[in-house]
Amino acid sequence: MKRVGPLLRRILVPVLSVLTALLLGGVVIILTDFDNLQKIGTDPLGTLGGAVQGVLNAYGAMLAGAFGDPNRIITALQTGNAADIARAIRPLTETLVSTTPLIFVGLAVSISFRAGMFNIGGDGQLMIGALAATASAIALNGVIPAWLILIATIAIATLAGAAWGFVPGFLKARTGAHEVITTIMLNYIASLFVFFILTTSPALRAAGSTTPVSKQLSSIVDVPNLINLPTIRLDFGFVVALLMAVAVSWLLFRTTKGFELRAAGFSSTAARYAGMSAGGSMMLAMSLSGGLAGMAGGFLVIGTVGQLSLDLSGGIGFNAIALALLAGLRPSGVVVSALLFGALTQGGKRMGIDTGIPFDLLLFIMALVIMFVAAPGLIRSIWRVRVAKPAPEIAQVSSESAGTV
Amino acid sequence: MTAAEAALTMRPEGLAARKALRNSRLRGAAFAVFAVLAGYLASRSFDVAATFSFWIDKQGGETATLSTTVGAMWVVAAIATALVGVLQLRSAEFRWRRWLLVAIAPWIAALLGNLLAGKAAVLTNVLAGSLELAAPISMAAMAGILSERSGMLNIALEGKMLVGACVAAIVGSIVSLATGNAVLAVLAAVVSAMLVAALLGLLLAWLGIRHKVDQIIAGTVINIGAVGITNFIFLRILSRATEYNSPPPVQAVRIPVLADIPVLGPIFFVATPYVYIAYAMVAILTYMIYRTRWGLRLRAAGEKPAAAGTVGINVLQIRYRALILAGLISGLAGSYLSLATSSSFQLQMTAGKGFIGLAAMIFGAWHPVGAFLAALVFGFADATQSLLSILGVDVAPQILQSIPYVVTIVVVAGVVGRVRGPASAGQPYEQG
Amino acid sequence: MRLELRDITKRFPGVLANDRISISADRGKVLGMLGENGAGKTTLMNILSGLYKPDSGQIFIDETERTFGDPVAAIEAGVGMVHQHFMLVPVFDVVEAVALGAETTKDALGTFDRAAARKRIVELSERYKLDVDPDARIESLPVGVRQRVEILKALYRRSDILVLDEPSAVLTPYETEELYAIIRSLAADGTTIIFITHKLNEVLEVADDIVVLRRGRVAGTADPKTATRQELANMMVGRDVELIVPKGPAKPGEVVLSIEQLFVRDDRLEMAVNGVDLEVRAGEIVAVAGVQGNGQTELVEAITGLRTPDSGAISIGGKRTEKWGPRQVSNLGVAHIPEDRGRDGLISPMTIAENYILDTYHEAPYSRNGVLNLKVVRERAAQGVKDFDIRTPSIDTYAGALSGGNQQKVVVAREFSVPVQLVIAAQPTRGLDVGSIEYIHRRLVEQRDAGAAIVIVSTELDEVLAVGDRIAVMYAGRIVGILAGDDATYENLGLLMGGATYGEGTAA
Repeated sequence: MKRVGPLLRRILVPVLSVLTALLLGGVVIILTDFDNLQKIGTDPLGTLGGAVQGVLNAYGAMLAGAFGDPNRIITALQTGNAADIARAIRPLTETLVSTTPLIFVGLAVSISFRAGMFNIGGDGQLMIGALAATASAIALNGVIPAWLILIATIAIATLAGAAWGFVPGFLKARTGAHEVITTIMLNYIASLFVFFILTTSPALRAAGSTTPVSKQLSSIVDVPNLINLPTIRLDFGFVVALLMAVAVSWLLFRTTKGFELRAAGFSSTAARYAGMSAGGSMMLAMSLSGGLAGMAGGFLVIGTVGQLSLDLSGGIGFNAIALALLAGLRPSGVVVSALLFGALTQGGKRMGIDTGIPFDLLLFIMALVIMFVAAPGLIRSIWRVRVAKPAPEIAQVSSESAGTV
Repeated sequence: MTAAEAALTMRPEGLAARKALRNSRLRGAAFAVFAVLAGYLASRSFDVAATFSFWIDKQGGETATLSTTVGAMWVVAAIATALVGVLQLRSAEFRWRRWLLVAIAPWIAALLGNLLAGKAAVLTNVLAGSLELAAPISMAAMAGILSERSGMLNIALEGKMLVGACVAAIVGSIVSLATGNAVLAVLAAVVSAMLVAALLGLLLAWLGIRHKVDQIIAGTVINIGAVGITNFIFLRILSRATEYNSPPPVQAVRIPVLADIPVLGPIFFVATPYVYIAYAMVAILTYMIYRTRWGLRLRAAGEKPAAAGTVGINVLQIRYRALILAGLISGLAGSYLSLATSSSFQLQMTAGKGFIGLAAMIFGAWHPVGAFLAALVFGFADATQSLLSILGVDVAPQILQSIPYVVTIVVVAGVVGRVRGPASAGQPYEQG
Repeated sequence: MRLELRDITKRFPGVLANDRISISADRGKVLGMLGENGAGKTTLMNILSGLYKPDSGQIFIDETERTFGDPVAAIEAGVGMVHQHFMLVPVFDVVEAVALGAETTKDALGTFDRAAARKRIVELSERYKLDVDPDARIESLPVGVRQRVEILKALYRRSDILVLDEPSAVLTPYETEELYAIIRSLAADGTTIIFITHKLNEVLEVADDIVVLRRGRVAGTADPKTATRQELANMMVGRDVELIVPKGPAKPGEVVLSIEQLFVRDDRLEMAVNGVDLEVRAGEIVAVAGVQGNGQTELVEAITGLRTPDSGAISIGGKRTEKWGPRQVSNLGVAHIPEDRGRDGLISPMTIAENYILDTYHEAPYSRNGVLNLKVVRERAAQGVKDFDIRTPSIDTYAGALSGGNQQKVVVAREFSVPVQLVIAAQPTRGLDVGSIEYIHRRLVEQRDAGAAIVIVSTELDEVLAVGDRIAVMYAGRIVGILAGDDATYENLGLLMGGATYGEGTAA
């Protein structure tokens, strides 16, 4: 029981942050529901009811989309019909499918943040990883057995992402260029580069397609599924993501490299005085970070989606920043937050289909989450509770970095 | 002579001085290599004609034509580059950043000639277009200068421009629908874009100053939130009810008399009001920052806030005001995108222009004039892209589109020279 | 104008910084305010300058009560400040830096009337013999001149009461003499001066009255004509201070550190260390004295591998190390206690245990093959906390939460947790209370007696005299004299620190 108190205090701010952000998201839903608002002159009470109903509908659809219907799952399991079971548990497994890349990129953001680097380039690193995986899968098709292709493509995706992440790390260490600007620019460049390859390379481009997408890769290589049921996409990528969380945690807190990385993240001068190489830590952290994002891209393109397209990343990089901050940059917290965000993502898609409320509302909610986590004083004044200060890593990105913005 | 001075004159040669000298020689050698390269390119292209024309007084009218060969242009580039190289080799203290433009300008022209490969091109539109495209970047850079001079990092320019663009489109459409008065609609659109962006500037300042949120994170909040909310509004409302996304366009305005100057008039004085505002802003800010009491205090707040605080200057108030002003400017820049370029709001239409503005600010060494010139280079890169695609020159559009982003990285990384920004930018200030 | 403070009290969370302080200074007089670090001098000064509001108490100027809500009110009341850390914008020129906050404008746009400001500054500097080029950029000026700019800043605002906070901290003895002359001429002109310092000599030299602060209270007053150094020191510390560290005679052994013709540049690429030769033997403490900014920092950085020298040789234990990095040097058994412990010696948001292994984490027993052994780390850290009497709730406390003295003990405990042959301690007691100072000194002497060679860099003459077996004085990047500890006095060290060469007494 002794540990419950501190744990509660630790999760108070994250929980209230998400709650507040969702409430504000509800306000946005109400304010943009013009059909409902137009009635305000004639039927104010009805408008109010309509507003509340609109929000409940939206978030209800989100909940259903994220977790499915428990009764239905139980019934389906009792009947034992594979198609029924698949249909019933699909929302839940799709949530885990959405969670997988969020864990990878959330870990990527955390590891770079720990080293004092604010990696906003998750999207670009993911896209480059996905491109590398696609290209290598097509190139290796028929050359080596499929299981070897699987390993090779994921490894190549990881390396490619790491290389893309290394660039801003190197620039920061050598020239002081601030990673926020360089990673965002590299996002644009990565996306244009993928676009360029998909429009010009006959080897990669899907024949006869009007939009720039790659050939289907599922006939070449696929990540084995965890549950063998029709339409269920949950695969071993999820397991690898969990393993990566363990690995990152071990690296950060149990190894000398992780110690160096955290020390340099807090104070590059003190790290230098202690004989560490702060620049080396920056480059290592950004490479690891890019590698994790690249791995996410590999699993997305080989496993979940089976095809490279321009909207593959879908803003995962930005979401990952929010969830990493929410997790207090702890790998275990990243897994929990990624589950939450995966549910929001999956539910958000359903909300879009059922109620026509665009999925992008989530991005706005994520921004609010980051704001509340970084400024717990806001949570304190809204909810009248005592809150802890934000983690020191979060409190000092730009004060420590002598970068040029 | 003090002992310290004596010692310095005794041993002028040292590791660091040798390093500076070596860098200077390397730079000089690099210029020389580029000069030789230009000479080589010249030798291969004397038979390729380069024909550049300019409208004399108006679009589609008579043209003044400059006919030469691509080879000749490369010769000019070679000579200019060699000149800069020689100056660099003569002295390690050579201020080469200012001279870089002398070498870059003929290179860009010659490259353009090469790409056109003998086709004739009318450059008036490209040059006027560069000015147009430079206007929002320049304004973003001015907003960045104001913020950082006051000691606040402002990576949220991108988000503020995006929201500004969205608000301008909606308000412009609504006022236009309601009144039918295009001028009134544009004014309302611009003013509301500026006000909303100023509120975001206030939010950034409030998070950074009152809540001590790291200024980079606070900026990221606004950038991500701006993408989320504008995507949401676009998809929920604007894409379905397009009448709310049809603001009246802002047209080019001829400045009487000046626009009649042959060749130059159509380039510089037939433009949207945004371009003239951008010119004016450079002049006004330069004066305000370097000549007035306000500017003195602004710079003190960004360089050494404690020095300002101890003489009774309210540093935090200066920072709040600077960020609100920067917000107004970035809202104006954002409204340009939806009113003057496409006459509608599009998803994520800023496409990094706020960040490019920051790069222009850095390249311009936090000085309005320098930042404006840097913005012109970015604007030109953007305009050339459209020119080449119109002429059907065979370069993949994605490659051309990525040029500004690559240049931004190069600038921020300081490959083209490191300059010093305000010393205290990004650091919170505790006021007693 | 006459300044009087009555019963000023100021409380911070957990600290009573000023406890019913009453002082007064008459027109044209110099009041010397003496006190050690943490005695409440700076708080009192911040109250006088309007940066803090007192919890209770009154301020009278010429018998009229004044309240200072902000710095502007204090400036308007005629109180001018000369801060210890100069409050000048480095990229401004002298005119801009002086006029900042008191600018006159000449039109509706608010255009700064530079010509008028410049004229007034030239007049003031001529009248008070404060020789300054009004168009020079602040960052290009030597510290002595910057201080004159600070004084001009106060005069520009027509201050009749001038408060100087530790004004001699960065000055050479010669510049300090010049400062005394300026102070005397200002006082003769009717300015009231509060001179805050922790140096006994200074108050005796320049003050008309002396007030001593201790732990936030007035510990007593003294007349400079009759008071002695020992009396003032006792009053300042509150008990009979041991100005001497208990230690036996040194037994110098082999040469451990040998420096030959060392030249090192600072960050601005100027030559900071200018041909230093120095030998330090096992079993002796060499104190490097000198005014701040005479190359000591760069010398320490060069020895510890943090800065590559331009030329010259450094040998530690017989190995040439001038091209080595900090890790290699540290592996030789070199302990480094950095000058700025908060920034360089510790990582505040990391725990005591983590800070304890900050430069040994890569070695056994703390890690093997890149994997940390957290059990051993915790055991050793707990032992270190016990051995060095570090007052902390646990080894999982953040280092930043400790007091300055305990932070320094963490650094020392870490550095002495492995066998050392050479100790480089830069300003090891700066900002510490007397108890911690004695403790740190005792530990250093212990290391000496265990056979290590010790280098202590300090700007405090008291410290240098107390611990140095030999004393090397640095001036303008060179060692201008080396004295045996017994031969050194305030007087001969002071001369050397000002640039005189030993034995000649003339400026080099």
